[in-house]
Amino acid sequence: MADGQPQADMAAEAHDHAPSFFKRWFWSTNHKDIGTLYLLFAIAAGTVGGAMSGLIRWELAEPGVTILTMFSNGDPTAAANFYNVLITYHGLIMIFFMVMPAMIGGFGNWFVPIMIGAPDMAFPRLNNISFWLYVASGFLIMLSLFAPGYGSQIGFGGGWVLYPPLSSTTGSPGPAMDLLILSLHLAGASSILGAINFITTIFNMRAPGMTLHKMPLFAWSVLVTAFLLVLSLPVLAAAITMLLTDRNFGTAFFDSAGGGDPILYQHLFWFFGHPEVYILILPGFGIISHIISTFSKKPIFGYLGMAYAMVAIGFVGFIVWAHHMYTVGLSVNMKAYFVAATMVIAVPTGIKVFSWIATMWGGSLTFPTPMLFAIGFIFLFTVGGVTGVLLANAGIDHYMHDTYYVVAHFHYVLSLGAVFAIFAAWYYWFGKMFGREYREILGKLHFWMMFIGVNLVFFPQHFLGLQGMPRRYVDYNVGHALWNSVSSWGYVVTLVAMGVFAWTMIDAFFIHRKKAAANPWGEGATTLEWTLPSPPPFHQFNELPRFDEKAQSAH
Amino acid sequence: MSRRFGGSQTIKTGFMGFRDEFGRKSAAVAAGAAALAGAMIGTAVAQTPDNGISLLEAKSPLAEEVHFFHNWVLMPVMVGISLLVLALLIWVVIRYNAKANPTAKTFSHNTTVEIVWTGGPILILLFIALFSFDLLYKEDVVPDGKRFVFEGDGAQAAFVMANDFAPRRRLVRRDHIEARVVGREGARDLAYGEDYTLAGLGDDAVTIELKAPPAIDEALVVTGGRSRVGPGKVFGLFGEDRSEIALAPTVTVKVLGFQWGWTYSYPDYGDFEVTSLMADEDKTSPETYKLAVDNPIYIPAGETIRVVTSASDVIHSWALPNFALKIDAVPGRLNEAWFSAPEEGVYYGQCSEICGVKHAFMPIEIRAVNRQDFIKWVNEQREANGMEPVPAPQATAQALPTGAARVAAAD
Repeated sequence: MADGQPQADMAAEAHDHAPSFFKRWFWSTNHKDIGTLYLLFAIAAGTVGGAMSGLIRWELAEPGVTILTMFSNGDPTAAANFYNVLITYHGLIMIFFMVMPAMIGGFGNWFVPIMIGAPDMAFPRLNNISFWLYVASGFLIMLSLFAPGYGSQIGFGGGWVLYPPLSSTTGSPGPAMDLLILSLHLAGASSILGAINFITTIFNMRAPGMTLHKMPLFAWSVLVTAFLLVLSLPVLAAAITMLLTDRNFGTAFFDSAGGGDPILYQHLFWFFGHPEVYILILPGFGIISHIISTFSKKPIFGYLGMAYAMVAIGFVGFIVWAHHMYTVGLSVNMKAYFVAATMVIAVPTGIKVFSWIATMWGGSLTFPTPMLFAIGFIFLFTVGGVTGVLLANAGIDHYMHDTYYVVAHFHYVLSLGAVFAIFAAWYYWFGKMFGREYREILGKLHFWMMFIGVNLVFFPQHFLGLQGMPRRYVDYNVGHALWNSVSSWGYVVTLVAMGVFAWTMIDAFFIHRKKAAANPWGEGATTLEWTLPSPPPFHQFNELPRFDEKAQSAH
Repeated sequence: MSRRFGGSQTIKTGFMGFRDEFGRKSAAVAAGAAALAGAMIGTAVAQTPDNGISLLEAKSPLAEEVHFFHNWVLMPVMVGISLLVLALLIWVVIRYNAKANPTAKTFSHNTTVEIVWTGGPILILLFIALFSFDLLYKEDVVPDGKRFVFEGDGAQAAFVMANDFAPRRRLVRRDHIEARVVGREGARDLAYGEDYTLAGLGDDAVTIELKAPPAIDEALVVTGGRSRVGPGKVFGLFGEDRSEIALAPTVTVKVLGFQWGWTYSYPDYGDFEVTSLMADEDKTSPETYKLAVDNPIYIPAGETIRVVTSASDVIHSWALPNFALKIDAVPGRLNEAWFSAPEEGVYYGQCSEICGVKHAFMPIEIRAVNRQDFIKWVNEQREANGMEPVPAPQATAQALPTGAARVAAAD
């Protein structure tokens, strides 16, 4: 794709005048530095959220309120509250502070401008504000974790969906919930600003001749994601603002005693919430497309279909929200509509999965770590996708709703889908971003241990759901003990895999210390970032790469 | 509607567990089965979770349909697609790795396969939809089936039933009607065409005309309604038809969720209240701990139960997995659902919407018993609440004409 841009030109431009440390990392307006900051933020949040899931799995390893009493001086009620707090903040942190910053803030900031041949984002200072709002938001959510919630207990323990009345003064009178609302307001504002930045950048700053239909799929995925963010987050903001005024200023939007309706909140929340889950996975689709294409040494199969499948998924994502609400008492005709609309999503998703396989078909495949994660992603996302088709059917969702089957489903598409995509991207672009090579053997060890670990964690949860175990339960019947125990051992394997990952990084930075080539992946890597040195210069593309007639005639 | 086993409420008691053993030869046999089930109450417990990998046992015809949908429609599709993708991935890894295929091909389009993998999933989804919507409407529309009982006099062969159902719920097709004759020797299902014909379907009154008039000591029992539940023939072609028309609810149970337990009341019986909290560990077995409650509620087995849910503080959700039933209890709203438990026994459920610190500790326990025992329990509750006992069961059953007693006796 990137014809006519000899690397030497780029290297010659690399006489960077990077600012001083404070200026560079706190007042940063450079998309790559901000991307790095987002990635560090995501790693920190992922560590906290992952530790929380560790406590959850430890508690659930056997029946009874067992280990969380250690944190509550033996009081089982406080332990149960702590459990609810853990599952709530685990969800919020992983969604808002791990996956979103990593995918959009991190890789999006790093590679969208480079891939479209732009020197930076359209609004560099806005980019800086977006990041620091996120930090403030992260600070508030951690504060909320230690503020009083229900009675004398700390934190809000009502699930990441924050349904009133459990999240109103009825269920959680303390300030924990207010802090959480403010945190989500800031995170939302940050994401909206970031999304505006991406949309403007992608629409206006593509290199000459790079039409939308020539644009790399990762940029496409971020474009679609940015639109989803801009259209859905204001609805969340409205919902939680109403919740805030219900809690503090005597309104009754969601209080039936005052003429409101708790179900209104659920409609508003899921009008945001369903696009949100596509926000989490769409950039992953883009990433996987690049990785599969690179290591197959083949252009992506059905490029236009892939791009418009993402557009279709994004669009349909806005008209399926009530499939999260089949048991709230919707009319049967409404449920029937949402069943039909939801199942439609399987079609563009199927197109993507099959197109990835078709990209590999006839290729010359190599299997470095990012490719392993990408292939793992395809299979595991498929498994999560087919259980999604099952859950789309209200007739059986009346059985499955709010059981571990749902937990298994969305962890397959997110924990094994989005997170695998993040790791794939991390290994794929690691050399490019940090100028160092990781050791392949360690990366592969990480992949295999994690693949086994997360499947051990989440596959048995399908069985728990089929056996009727409700989600968000601190304790369970003895008949659910076996698969909970297997699931918890799976966490141990995953934890070791995370240790291997940490070691891989320490090794890459401090022991192996091998400098990464500009393009370590060879001829299959065709997007613009591989024309730049690793790491790229502080400012790239002082002279824009061209994809128009001029570039063609230069050959 | 090849066979008519269901119909009378008590016969349904034997619907699940005893059908295979006793067949469906006569109501008397089924009645025996019902007695057996009655004797087993307390020990005949619904399947509690057992560390298995399958859905919890289906305990109603509707739940059987849910199981069929899961086991024979969705599972094959899900497993098939997953294995297909896995097989394709394994194939490309083996066939197209750099050693096996050093030079990559360059194609990036193939209209034919793109049409196939767009159209194929659409067909699969349509296949799923064939079953899905049918099931959804059966679950969500509360049955309104009615029973008509006509005394035989040995001469009259044509009988008229009022078709006074709600609009869109009228009897318009012949499978909206089931007929059987009950006599001293038991019950005999009638087949459309062979044994009877119908006239006036869709009109204000429907006439059923029998080839052979019922004898003096026989009664014609006709069930009409659109809610046909239970596994029927697949695509109307394959397998045994075990569906039956569900009757309108006979008992309403009001369910009020609170932090952290359930209050039940029975508006049909004076609105007495029963508060159910999780039973202490020493009052349960290990299998039922965290499932059993201190005050279980009773329902009449085989009858359609209307459940109306609400909540007094936060949202809860009332779930009974054996009946594939789950309905949220939302403060300020009333939700309606229905189920029936043809088999007597104890059934468990758990709160299924996070509701605070004791969310995991507000289980649901119901006991399905025969109508006599149900009324006995109702009267105990009424007495405890200072109310007069309600009269004997027959009068509170469906408002049947004079043949009712005999129908009940034959059951």
